Amino acid sequence: MPADRAFLAVADNDPLPEGPAIVSLARFQKERDELLARGEKLGLRLEASESPELIGADVHKIALIVLNVPYFRDGRAYSWARLLRTRLHYKGEIRVTGHVLRDQVAFFTRVGVDSFELPRPASESDLEAARSEISHVYQPSVDGRETIWDLRARQRKSPAS
Amino acid sequence: MYRYDEFDAQFVRERAEQFRGQVARRLAGELTEDEFKPLRLMNGLYLQLHAYMLRIAIPYGTLSSGQLRKLGYIARKYDRGYGHFTTRQNLQLHWSQLPDVPDMLLELAEVEMHCLQTSGNCVRNITADHFAAAGSDEIEDPRILSEVLRQWSTLHPEFSFLPRKFKIAVSGSAADRAAIMVHDIGIQIVRNDEGEIGYRVYTGGGLGRTPFIGHEVGRFVAKTDILAFIEAIMRVYNESGRRDNIHKARIKILVHQIGPEEMRRRVEREFAEIKASGTLQLPEAELQRIAAYFAPPTFEDLPDTSAQLDQAKKSDPAFANWLRTNVDAHKVPGYAIATISLKAIGETPGDCSSEQMEALADLMDEFGQPEIRVTHEQNLVLPHMRKRDLYALFQKLDALGLATANHGLATDIIACPGLDYCDLANARSINIAKEIARRFADLERQHDLGELKIKISGCINACGHHHVGHIGILGVDRKGVENYQILLGGSGAEDASLGEILGPGFDSEGIADAVENVVATYTKLRHGGERLLDTYRRVGAAPFKERLYAR
Amino acid sequence: MMPQVLTANRLSVGEVVYWNAARGWVAYMHDAEILPDDKAEAVLKDIGARGVQERQVVNPYLFDVRVDGSTVVPVKTREAIRAAGPSARRDLGKQAD
Repeated sequence: MPADRAFLAVADNDPLPEGPAIVSLARFQKERDELLARGEKLGLRLEASESPELIGADVHKIALIVLNVPYFRDGRAYSWARLLRTRLHYKGEIRVTGHVLRDQVAFFTRVGVDSFELPRPASESDLEAARSEISHVYQPSVDGRETIWDLRARQRKSPAS
Repeated sequence: MYRYDEFDAQFVRERAEQFRGQVARRLAGELTEDEFKPLRLMNGLYLQLHAYMLRIAIPYGTLSSGQLRKLGYIARKYDRGYGHFTTRQNLQLHWSQLPDVPDMLLELAEVEMHCLQTSGNCVRNITADHFAAAGSDEIEDPRILSEVLRQWSTLHPEFSFLPRKFKIAVSGSAADRAAIMVHDIGIQIVRNDEGEIGYRVYTGGGLGRTPFIGHEVGRFVAKTDILAFIEAIMRVYNESGRRDNIHKARIKILVHQIGPEEMRRRVEREFAEIKASGTLQLPEAELQRIAAYFAPPTFEDLPDTSAQLDQAKKSDPAFANWLRTNVDAHKVPGYAIATISLKAIGETPGDCSSEQMEALADLMDEFGQPEIRVTHEQNLVLPHMRKRDLYALFQKLDALGLATANHGLATDIIACPGLDYCDLANARSINIAKEIARRFADLERQHDLGELKIKISGCINACGHHHVGHIGILGVDRKGVENYQILLGGSGAEDASLGEILGPGFDSEGIADAVENVVATYTKLRHGGERLLDTYRRVGAAPFKERLYAR
Repeated sequence: MMPQVLTANRLSVGEVVYWNAARGWVAYMHDAEILPDDKAEAVLKDIGARGVQERQVVNPYLFDVRVDGSTVVPVKTREAIRAAGPSARRDLGKQAD
């Protein structure tokens, strides 16, 4: 899905906008009470080195978590997304931004990422194509998608299917 | 051996087509080289000195005759008629062309092969003991777990952009023929006191710029837990491995920096979390399905001695020599493990021509050999030869230049492609290997020296595994001139140790003499039947230094 | 500083090539243009970049050479090997052409 444009990213020293804002983890930790009291949806931006565990118990109060990928080779965001969905049971939107290649979209989707800000905009059909180039997956992940192992088990039960 | 089902087959075909699309986008300018490079690397395609190099995955070093024949065909049709077997049991083709690669991948897919993840910052080819299913000391075939891990780690969504490459090796016996102690994860199959089979897991081993021996992080991991345990290690690494410096990004650096205790703690914490959420267990039925492929072949009921073999041994001294070094005992009477040396004197270590590959495939069929193995020491193994067929095999190998009777001896040298081929190299390695082999060619002399593992790398990346050579040689660039440092005392076996640099390096003219001097020091000081490695461990570097440098 | 030669690999086939202003990207080092050191950087930025952009070549870079009369000799062994082919297989590469 295309990124939700209602949220506005705001720098640490800038005043907060009218509507929903995305702030850095540092700002959240400093201004937590005011930010949560605003009555607006809150977004949090994590840098590659910042584990979502640093958000603490407030994670469920965050409507949108943006994971920044400084360079496509930095694969920490995959673990952070997975961590949010599994151990932290995060139900809000996870967005990935930064230097992300179209060919990484499928992986991010599997670990629980909802939306993407790609350096070069891609159409929904292009993203869908990127996601479906490989029909099956071997290993289980956050998306709960049926794996090749599951398909084999299903086949054994009903060989005709 | 493992056979693809429709899902595996579809996977590699789609992958080949995906790469075709990526190549087309690159050639059409929709992808820059920076964007294309990670994609081609995940398909094992490097740009080397002279051309593209394609690294073909040979999972745990096992090939069928059909696969070996196809490799020979691909090397002939698309490359220059030969390939190079590597220290990770893969095959490299050094003269590939980008527009051909999608077709090459499809050809490979036809024989259930691929180039997935033979490069890039992901889990690489999982290597295993090349004597699997044949060695008498084996607890369990290490390739079952290797195949499980191979599938699990293929295009893993979380672990495809690790801080750096990740290498896993599995050994199924007490003797370590897979060098597990110098891998990012090394797994040893063990039995506990109750007789149950489980896994001892090591992490943080590795060679390269800063070599380390691995540390134990799991004393006995149960079969039902092993995937979760491996995932735990990988997650700790993905989250905490360094990303600021390419030379400090391997897991060995992380383990070294935080210490093995802390590493163990983090892994156990993550492992407990994974177990608590109940995910990541390989379904028992799937495990059984995979294990069934590694059931041993049906062995004939044969006498352990063969009159033909004994007769040939007496009448043909060349065959007798070959038996001495290149044939190992098999767990089943009447059978033997035959090592095919790719180290003919004066030839490039590990290289094999298309003709040789195709002829070997024919020999496999002739002698009813379901598998051939690639070893991390760049030789090939026929694990289930009938003793009565060994002489016929030897004669045919001899005609092909593949019967050099030097397995484990001084001329069984491991060498990376080096500066002759590799973009990363600082010095040539093949010429040094050839010269050393020429110096030590005399077989009687080699037998006198006994087991002697010489390993040569053309740069600090250590693809020639020089850190674990009894004699290791590291090629460097010294003010624009090729220079070679000698290390002594390394071992990649269960007595793992890292070689120590002896002193200043030698130039191309002097290195072979230096190796001769090292060997002369050994023969002078050795006790009983000890190897050079043993002598070095006993007397230390001083006598060797004195011989080489005192002047 | 030394005279230099501009080299790269062809994008499609990976072959080693050299720049010669009159002839474009050529296969053999002895056909390459010798660039005086004060011009070389500019050529790399212009020609090299253009070669990449036009998808002719990848990884363009300069390397030092010595001119011995009419022979051009690369300073580094690596470039001598790139120009000729693997010393381990004299029957392969440009040396065998």
